[in-house]
Amino acid sequence: MKHDFLDKYSKLGSVIHKLDPRAKIITFLLFIIFVITTAPHDYLSFAAYAAVISIVVFLSKVPLSYVFKRVLVIIPFVLLVAIFLPFANKGPEGWTIFWNVMIKSFLAVLATIMLSSTTKFHKLLKGFELLKFPKIMIMMLAFMYRYVFILVDEAHRMERARDSRYFGGEYLRQIKIVCNIIGLLFIRAYERGERVYQSMSARGFDGNIITMNELKYVKSDMIFYIIFTGMILTIKIWSLF
Amino acid sequence: MKKVIEINDLCYSYPDEKIALENINLDIFEGESVGIVGANGAGKTTLILHINGIIRSNNGNIKVIDMEMTDKNIRKIRSKVGLVFQNPEDQLFSPTVFEDVSFGPLNMKLSPDEVIKRTTDALEMVEMSGFENRSSHHLSEGEKKRISIATVLSMNPEILVLDEPTSNLDPKHRRELIHLLKKFNKTIIIVSHDLEAMLELCDRTVLMNKGEIVKDGKTRELMSDRKLMEDNYLECPLSLKN
Repeated sequence: MKHDFLDKYSKLGSVIHKLDPRAKIITFLLFIIFVITTAPHDYLSFAAYAAVISIVVFLSKVPLSYVFKRVLVIIPFVLLVAIFLPFANKGPEGWTIFWNVMIKSFLAVLATIMLSSTTKFHKLLKGFELLKFPKIMIMMLAFMYRYVFILVDEAHRMERARDSRYFGGEYLRQIKIVCNIIGLLFIRAYERGERVYQSMSARGFDGNIITMNELKYVKSDMIFYIIFTGMILTIKIWSLF
Repeated sequence: MKKVIEINDLCYSYPDEKIALENINLDIFEGESVGIVGANGAGKTTLILHINGIIRSNNGNIKVIDMEMTDKNIRKIRSKVGLVFQNPEDQLFSPTVFEDVSFGPLNMKLSPDEVIKRTTDALEMVEMSGFENRSSHHLSEGEKKRISIATVLSMNPEILVLDEPTSNLDPKHRRELIHLLKKFNKTIIIVSHDLEAMLELCDRTVLMNKGEIVKDGKTRELMSDRKLMEDNYLECPLSLKN
């Protein structure tokens, strides 16, 4: 079975795709910080930030429908939290905060989606690693990415095996079986972890994670740094006056 | 001939006290290709895990290339014994093929240039050049098996140990793998139920049952012994029946 829901469009070859992951991580993080620290009534700044990230979306050639679908996955969670704000804060202030949370999270989510859908997952990890992210976290994420699909496949197979012997009815018993499948999945994952560790040990792994630096900044990365940071800095400074 | 593996009076039981190995005595010489056969649960995999020090037993001793299995030697031993696990999904744990194949050399603390060279060479040896940036999840079973072998070849081991190398392969890929294994002129130990493949690849075969070595001899002779094979839950390969 094939799954690529995490970085489906990461194999396109646009300008944004070709950038060094570090450049994207740093600039997008900066973008998110700038957006979050914008004053609530500064709608013009929000529009300007939206314009900047729209340019990135446009340049990346990732289909708009895909981008918005991804946003839609996250927005309900934000909405769930934000919906109580107008009630907690009486008067028009509550609604201002509500819209603020919505706009800021929308822009921030857009930036993260751009980061994840224009960068292959292993490159993204490499980028984080070179930015001195803890290696143990990187490794955990790498394992997650490698094995999540296998676990999903395993769950599907168990489900299929159940369905092939399931003739309907007995609702309560079905719940029990689902619980069994979950438990079994846990045990299998645990045992696989043990085998993976054995195969790592067999190749000389002793707890120290050694990796290679394969990323190099090129001219286009620098140009992106300057243009992107320049644009958002201008918006920020301009909004301060 | 030089002895590369020397196992004396090895016993091992799992934490649940099930006896897995009993009184194993086995010598393997340089350049030999040895098959280990036996029923499910006969202790074959447990035995080969000992060769790499993944499992260590207090009873009996193991010497690999004149090195005792001790904490001090274990790193060196592991770099000399390339162990390929049965399931490629366990063997290939990195996001990309390159990272998997370079994992061993990096742990050996080689220089970056040397690591790249070893990785490229190993992939070339298994005829998988150009797969460096692919993710192992999207490879076919045959490709995964080859890459798994490359992950240990990159460490340039003196002994290659393979657990069920031909399982889950279609006949064409199985054949290609056999050709590939035939090309290596190193000491090879293969654990498998694929007796026909063993017949082609191994000159010598060790037959195990219930944790013990029942017989150790020339593959062709051992596998032609119908009674011996059937007593140990195996059967003679078709090509030896007449």
